[in-house]
Amino acid sequence: MNAYAVKKNVSSDKIIVADDMMLTVDMPTTAGSKMLDGYMSLLESEALTRLKAEGYVLGGKADVGEFAIDLLGETSSRGALFADGALKNAAAQIVASGEASAAICLDANGSVRRAAAQSGLISLKPTYGTVSRYGVIPVACSGDTVSILADNTDTCGNIIDVIAGHDAKDGTSLSDELCSKLKKSAEYSPVRRVALLTSMTDGIDADVKAKLDAAVEALTKSGVEVVSVENEIIASARPAWNVLMSAELCNNVSRYDGVKYGYRAQSFNGIDELYTNSRTEAFGDLLKTAIIFGSETLSTENYMKVYDKCLRVRRVIVEEFAKIFGEFDAILMPTCSSLSYTEEQIANNRHLAFEENFYTAPASISGLPAVVAGGVQLVGSAFTERALLTAAKIIAKEGR
Amino acid sequence: MKYETVIGLEVHVELATSSKIFCSCSAHSYGAEPNSHVCPACCGMPGMLPVVNKRVVDYGMKAGMMLGCHINRTTTFDKKSYYYPDLPAAYQTTQWFAPVAVNGLVEIETSKGKKNIRIKQIHMEEDAGKLVHDIREDTTHVDFNRTSVPLIEIVSQPDLSSAEEVEAYLERLKTLLRYARVAECEMAHGTMRCDVNLSVRPEGSDKLGVRAEMKNMNSLEAIKRAIEYETARHIDAIENGTEVLKQETRRWDDIKGKSYAMRTKETAGDYRYFPDPNVMPVVIDDEWFDSIKRSLPEFPEVKRDRYITEYGLGEYDAEQLIKSIALCDCFEDAYAVCKSAKDAANWMISEVMSILNARKMTYDMLDISGKALGELILLVTGSKVGRANAKKILAAMFDDPTIEPTAYAEANGFVMSNDTGKVEAVVKAAVEADPKAVADYKGGKEKALMALFGKCMKELKGNCDPQVLKTILIDYISKV
Amino acid sequence: MERDTIRRLELLNQLRLTDSQKDDVMAFFAKREDDLKALEKIDTAETERMVHVMPIMTVVREDTVSQNFSREALQAGAPETDEGYWCVPKVVE
Repeated sequence: MNAYAVKKNVSSDKIIVADDMMLTVDMPTTAGSKMLDGYMSLLESEALTRLKAEGYVLGGKADVGEFAIDLLGETSSRGALFADGALKNAAAQIVASGEASAAICLDANGSVRRAAAQSGLISLKPTYGTVSRYGVIPVACSGDTVSILADNTDTCGNIIDVIAGHDAKDGTSLSDELCSKLKKSAEYSPVRRVALLTSMTDGIDADVKAKLDAAVEALTKSGVEVVSVENEIIASARPAWNVLMSAELCNNVSRYDGVKYGYRAQSFNGIDELYTNSRTEAFGDLLKTAIIFGSETLSTENYMKVYDKCLRVRRVIVEEFAKIFGEFDAILMPTCSSLSYTEEQIANNRHLAFEENFYTAPASISGLPAVVAGGVQLVGSAFTERALLTAAKIIAKEGR
Repeated sequence: MKYETVIGLEVHVELATSSKIFCSCSAHSYGAEPNSHVCPACCGMPGMLPVVNKRVVDYGMKAGMMLGCHINRTTTFDKKSYYYPDLPAAYQTTQWFAPVAVNGLVEIETSKGKKNIRIKQIHMEEDAGKLVHDIREDTTHVDFNRTSVPLIEIVSQPDLSSAEEVEAYLERLKTLLRYARVAECEMAHGTMRCDVNLSVRPEGSDKLGVRAEMKNMNSLEAIKRAIEYETARHIDAIENGTEVLKQETRRWDDIKGKSYAMRTKETAGDYRYFPDPNVMPVVIDDEWFDSIKRSLPEFPEVKRDRYITEYGLGEYDAEQLIKSIALCDCFEDAYAVCKSAKDAANWMISEVMSILNARKMTYDMLDISGKALGELILLVTGSKVGRANAKKILAAMFDDPTIEPTAYAEANGFVMSNDTGKVEAVVKAAVEADPKAVADYKGGKEKALMALFGKCMKELKGNCDPQVLKTILIDYISKV
Repeated sequence: MERDTIRRLELLNQLRLTDSQKDDVMAFFAKREDDLKALEKIDTAETERMVHVMPIMTVVREDTVSQNFSREALQAGAPETDEGYWCVPKVVE
């Protein structure tokens, strides 16, 4: 199993893995950062606790990029994972190999969805607030969502059935009444009309275009109407999300300072050097850039112009989504620009993750559910997970 | 030229809740083992999420209402970022954009009369931890017990102009917050802390002078001294050009009696506030608002007037009692039992308050039961226990607040005897033992009777109605 | 974006960047300027900010105490402790 920590001698048909943003009490949790090398948590992710209670067995921990903000995990302190010249995601590899039936992962900046799209897997990013974030290393709390990676839609459906629900330990957790809409037993109206968001197809390569065409064809064949729709506002989610995510990230990782736990620099003179040396030595480049960037957006001079503006843009985006959902049951869009990232591509653009999230930011900033299948993404209005999974089944051509 | 001092205060008050503001750790950190009231959340570990303690909002609202504020019915929390070892997550969750209470008014009274001080806002926030500097020479020790203990910060407008006014204002805040039972407000315990913003300008000018923010005053005395020192420093600078005044943060050194500019970092003050995504807005509906409104206490002045008009107390007595809500509670409970406001007030003022003074306790530290005091008063007025013994019982009640006066009197032989035979026997023995006293009394020396009376009372251990003893004594002597 | 601003941001975030990292950050900010121009086209004058995507209000908890974690466990991974305290180099106030 391609996990950095593995439980030995586990045999079950309900083996799952957790990515390294999920806190575990019997294995370390490091968020892919040297800062948390060997960190043992005293609390366990609520999602994991609920899964264990239903007989699921945690088989291991899958590596992530440092604080899960990168493309697929390439910024992990343990190094990037390449196979056949293409960047790979650890959790996706484990699930694709069949060593685990599913992975629960943090979708903070779309890495889980990209991993699913590029590995031919299914991912479900549920409606914000339906799965507790208790026991999850925080990145961008206003959008962080515990997500599921599996090789079929039914497994995603089984797992969300277990992990969705109110948790009093998470102040943003929704009521059981609302969460029950995600359950297997819930009634739902199926996806009949889909908006193909053409504004979101900028920059995709021929392979992704082919995936999108295949999805449209599969949906149309099964009687779903697909209509092309333009919306430039939703397509501007990326810059707004980059601001909000970086600012929240900057604040959330300020706690890692070499005092309470985690990495402490060998040499320092005085408290400020202890902080600065520890953080400088333990944090990677992309994280540092995001911290500096996020911090600047919150400065007194920029708060109204940048941060506050982006909070308002978020509402406009949510309203635009609502308009579309007035006419359509789901929105179809790409998940990434290409189906693999080469070593060269990554070396040439250190900020690719903050550009590739063009495709994932709309669902992140709005907290809407998204299902990736057949390499493409279906975004629905809140609590439409069941309908999305059923439509995704068609796209993934499952059961044929 | 004449100058006036312009002072605004930022007062931090620790709320008297059981648990912390966002986690369930105990909020009573004072005197506890270091880091014994700590969890992953309040020591900065990742993964736990803040869940708001209802009582903190209750108390925040209550404080706002007591200080005449408008209550924001939707109040939100924000994050304030800075690095310091007492702040484990490197951010403090506070209220920046929509504090719980705004635009209040507090009336104070000084030797110059009454004055209104405007309150800009009251916000709820979490406290920082404690740093201990004197365990090892090269090391600072960090204790997170106090981290996340709930605070309110009361920000005044710059409406104060002297140390006397500041003292009156702080005393008023303390009284009102204690009346509302939301906080202890004890500077010596750190449950009330105060930063002073001060500037000086020519009298009558409407332009504010250069402002200094003073920190680290740990007592009312220190605050007054700091204000006087700082005012003089500013005037000296303006008049004599001894220094160029700068807007700065200054630390008060109470031992040296001086303030010093604090070393400030280049980045000081850039706190990067933003709304906390983890705490949803706190919406105070009518039911919640009304329940807090209904729970507000009588204001001290209303209580005083009621004591005078309803209970018939004198103005002085009423003024004494309203000094502390603890005194009022004890008095009212005692009155409910003994049914005599005058007796209850007398016992409170001449006995209870003097024991507090003798024991160097503040009025607020009173924790004897008012009901028990009422019972004790009934024992005295019903001639069951003599006054001297009643005082002994009261003293015992201070040592052990669970004491029930009647049972205690019985157990300790303080119940007065109605057995006249026993009293007569004691009188007989005393008179026979001291024929000189009898002769003196008969010779017109009243004092001699009092000496005999005292001896008998002592023999009876005080357990005799003085009138009864006196009658029997005079009666017996007349027969000798 | 000036180098001076970067230096200030380094101080503010307790980080020290190499020259190439600074270039990297500057390049990132340069892209941000274009992004902001794009966002300015979206009219938000009449729009309220949206901090939380779900329009729910806080669910408060009752004021009860529970102590579920021991100091020993909390300090097990600490770089330096002494007599139950976390330790840092002397802080001068």
